[in-house]
Amino acid sequence: MRARRYLAALGLPGIVWVALFVATALYALIAISVGGLDPILLTPVPAWNPLHWSASTLQEVGTALKPFSGSDWMVFQRTVIYIAIALAGCILVGYPVAYYVAIRARRSKGIILALFVAPFLVSYMLRMLAWVGLLSPDGWINLVLEHLGLMSGHQPLNWLSGRSVTVVCALIYGWVPYFILPLYASLARFDQRFLEASRDLGAGTWQTFLHVTLPLSKQGILAGTVIVALPMFGDFFTNALVSGTASTAMVGSLINTYAQSQTDQGLAAAGAVWLMALLTLLLLPYLRSSARATAEVAR
Amino acid sequence: MAGGQIEIINLTKRFDDVVAVDGIDLHIPPGEFFSIVGPSGCGKTTTLRMIGGFEEPTSGRIVLDGVDMQHTPPHKRNVNTVFQAYMIFPHLNVYDNVAFGLRRRRTSKREVKQRVSEVLELVELGRLAQRKPAQLSGGQQQRVALARALILSPSVLLLDEPLGALDAKLRKQLQIQLKALQQRVGITFVYVTHDQEEALTMSDRVAVMNAGHVEQAATPREVYDQPQTRFVADFLGVSNLVHAEAVGREGAGVRLRLGDFEIAARHGVLDDRGLVTCIIRPERIRLEPYESTGENRIPAIVERVVFLGHSVQVSARLAVGQTVQAMVQNTGEAFPYQQGTTVQAHLPADALRVLGADEATPDDPEAARALNGERDGLSADGPPARGSSQPPDEATSAAGPERFTSQARIGDDDV
Amino acid sequence: MSGSGAVSPVPQSPTWSTRLRARPWGGYALAGFVVLYLVWSLAPVLIAFLFSFNHGNSRSVWQGFSTEWWTGPGSVFNVAMYHDAILHSFLLAGIAVAVTVPVGVSLSVFLSRWRGAAARPAGLLATLPLVVPELVLALALFFLVTKLLHFISLGTPAQVIGQVTYILPAVVVITRGRLASIPSGFEEAAMDLGASPLGAFRLVLVPLLGPAILASAIVTFALSIDDFVITQYMSSSSATQSIPMVIYNSTRGSATPALNASAMVVALCTILICGAGYLVYRILNRREEIVVPEAPAEPSGLGPAVGEGAW
Repeated sequence: MRARRYLAALGLPGIVWVALFVATALYALIAISVGGLDPILLTPVPAWNPLHWSASTLQEVGTALKPFSGSDWMVFQRTVIYIAIALAGCILVGYPVAYYVAIRARRSKGIILALFVAPFLVSYMLRMLAWVGLLSPDGWINLVLEHLGLMSGHQPLNWLSGRSVTVVCALIYGWVPYFILPLYASLARFDQRFLEASRDLGAGTWQTFLHVTLPLSKQGILAGTVIVALPMFGDFFTNALVSGTASTAMVGSLINTYAQSQTDQGLAAAGAVWLMALLTLLLLPYLRSSARATAEVAR
Repeated sequence: MAGGQIEIINLTKRFDDVVAVDGIDLHIPPGEFFSIVGPSGCGKTTTLRMIGGFEEPTSGRIVLDGVDMQHTPPHKRNVNTVFQAYMIFPHLNVYDNVAFGLRRRRTSKREVKQRVSEVLELVELGRLAQRKPAQLSGGQQQRVALARALILSPSVLLLDEPLGALDAKLRKQLQIQLKALQQRVGITFVYVTHDQEEALTMSDRVAVMNAGHVEQAATPREVYDQPQTRFVADFLGVSNLVHAEAVGREGAGVRLRLGDFEIAARHGVLDDRGLVTCIIRPERIRLEPYESTGENRIPAIVERVVFLGHSVQVSARLAVGQTVQAMVQNTGEAFPYQQGTTVQAHLPADALRVLGADEATPDDPEAARALNGERDGLSADGPPARGSSQPPDEATSAAGPERFTSQARIGDDDV
Repeated sequence: MSGSGAVSPVPQSPTWSTRLRARPWGGYALAGFVVLYLVWSLAPVLIAFLFSFNHGNSRSVWQGFSTEWWTGPGSVFNVAMYHDAILHSFLLAGIAVAVTVPVGVSLSVFLSRWRGAAARPAGLLATLPLVVPELVLALALFFLVTKLLHFISLGTPAQVIGQVTYILPAVVVITRGRLASIPSGFEEAAMDLGASPLGAFRLVLVPLLGPAILASAIVTFALSIDDFVITQYMSSSSATQSIPMVIYNSTRGSATPALNASAMVVALCTILICGAGYLVYRILNRREEIVVPEAPAEPSGLGPAVGEGAW
């Protein structure tokens, strides 16, 4: 039928695009991670044919990541700890803010929402640049600390050389807007009459929050967590800007470092494949629960 | 504008493993107001969408004025549709919505203007030409949808629940107006609705569909008074289903045995013997004082009286066990029978219609009970008497006296 | 959590619905927390803006006001690295919008209207980049371009391809959301009235998708301007540096406040463009409200008053 042909024509460019630049690209990544090395240039050679796959590069990276004994185990452990703390920070900062704007704010809602979106229009890099200026040894943060008498007698603190606190705070600062937005969207959807019903049944503010609001916003928290956790696992730039030393390196920094060297690109690919495998495992429960939620809504 | 003959031959539509329309045949002559009625999911909308060209038949043919429509896309068919929920383009005003089709035909600006204003006059929307759809009431939107379709002078107009979104009062009014409009323009209307009353009010002929099949296609009076299947009887308003045993011929009719009583029926399948199902409309059952005598009368107890306004709905339990619904016109006088009163239920032979040998399957609990000779009984009957007096095997071999059941269904809109 | 933690001191009373609106202690604490958050999230950027007017080379010590980094010889508009990067950022964003929006919108129409086996895998593939860290996607695209599709050169073409691939899921999500509220009956109605399938798309679907198309364009623009990882991996030389790349490469060095100024130029332009786009979006959205009457009846409102009589 003609209508079908026209629909197919509409979809074709997009389908070709994702087939080439998503599916084939990810396959290229895998092909490199299971490929060999060029004998002369020592650059990775992709193994397009699954029959020629070799697990040696993957094994090499796997050994390096081996719990407790592997050479990169520390980096991996650090990544997980940093991200866990940063996620907790995002929830602690983001939830009250999203909750307030979605449920409590009335007249001021429009302005607050506009200010909410502002970080998305100011690039991530500019926001990091701003903190680098503030955190410099001669920057305003140290100035304030000095004024408050918290630094008497000491050398000015150098916040920007391998401090975990700085990295974690920068991660929170950078990604919390991305956490708030989906959470806000999920909270704003929810029917305020639930709250009224809860109050009607005699629950107080705090009880209502604990037994009605929080359970109902679980899906939103989960969505926000996934949305910020994924890029954090690949984040190397935040780290590079506010620390830049190996003592705070994360998995993303490692992959990026490998990728910069022609001869280590195979390792970068293998690292990325390992990361994807891990994230898939972590994501499965989320995907299942969101599929269930979608099915419930559809019904 | 003439023409508009539709021939549907063995039409089937399958979605994956669901058969939505299962080999139906319909013949719709030019200029007919034809309704397809049935419960949701019966295939009526799918049939309409295939006529409109929005679904491709899995097999079978649709012939429009002698031309097979198989390879004709919707925009090339001389058929227009009034969609469910109207689908008036929200970004265009009333004028542009109505002119949409003419512009696709590259009609001159002057002619567009003239014909749009004509058709807007026809549906009395001339003053609202510049309004956006969001500013219209439901009834006005319905008329825009109608005008938009009629302006193209189709030979067939398809209407998919066009009054479904309106409130009951407006709907009644528009039914009459739609019918009048159809007579004025003289083209074929194919009208899909789930509202049996709507279908009966407006149509020249009605097809009752169920589970992808056409159960019966005939004039409104015929499908109502002479339903051919239990489903049709049930769907078109309340009807009592009565299981009885046909024992012999009587004049122009058949003798039926219901427990200790014998009655006559004059319509339907008169040649079958043994277990049969009969139907009788509630408004045909007459309730008379207990003392009255005559043919086709069975004693009963009034169980419940519900006042409906135009009539009184009475549940009466017949002496042979089952309950029937009777509809008594509200004539302004007080209803004489209170709950618990004994009466005679008169089931006139003219009103009883035999559907033929019992359709009821053995796993139908009611029929099973009837077959076993079991009966709910009047309150005087104690449970022990039942089991001992009627051993099951005896009841199945010989006709038990209480082979009798009834069922009443109340149509959605009567509740 | 912290803010709402304070239990409402107001005793139980039957006027619960008004009490929801009243803001007892917990409410004020919460509002205060939100204000703190907004200050924390925006003040550093404003301070960085301020430092672009610093009289001196420092980006951390205030040395007095001057406009030298905006107008002087070392200013954002006179140092090639900065103004080239600004132009390159906007060039990439422009191309990304021009490619992503049409490809994404038409793909979404296909995904939501196609009844067939192809729609599901295509939809999954199109939204897959949402659950892949950008670094992984960047690496994958880098290998694709350098090891397989040699005819695509690193630099602007590869950067565009990377950005479009990265942004496409967002456009698909936005457009499909809107499509879900547009019944396919509108297209069928158009075809019923004689429009060809393409005509139905152009005359009905595109106008109805207007707000979604505009929203997609705004989001694409903002994401493209902001993008760093893919743009970096797909770049070839300093000639294809975008502003985020310049910031990344020179923040820890001894760059002058012209760096702040260049970042602010892009940020201000983005805010202006997206803000204007949003205003148009609001107007469009209000005008094109989709009204689909639902069964059961609406109150007849305007109905019978205006000539519901015989016709």
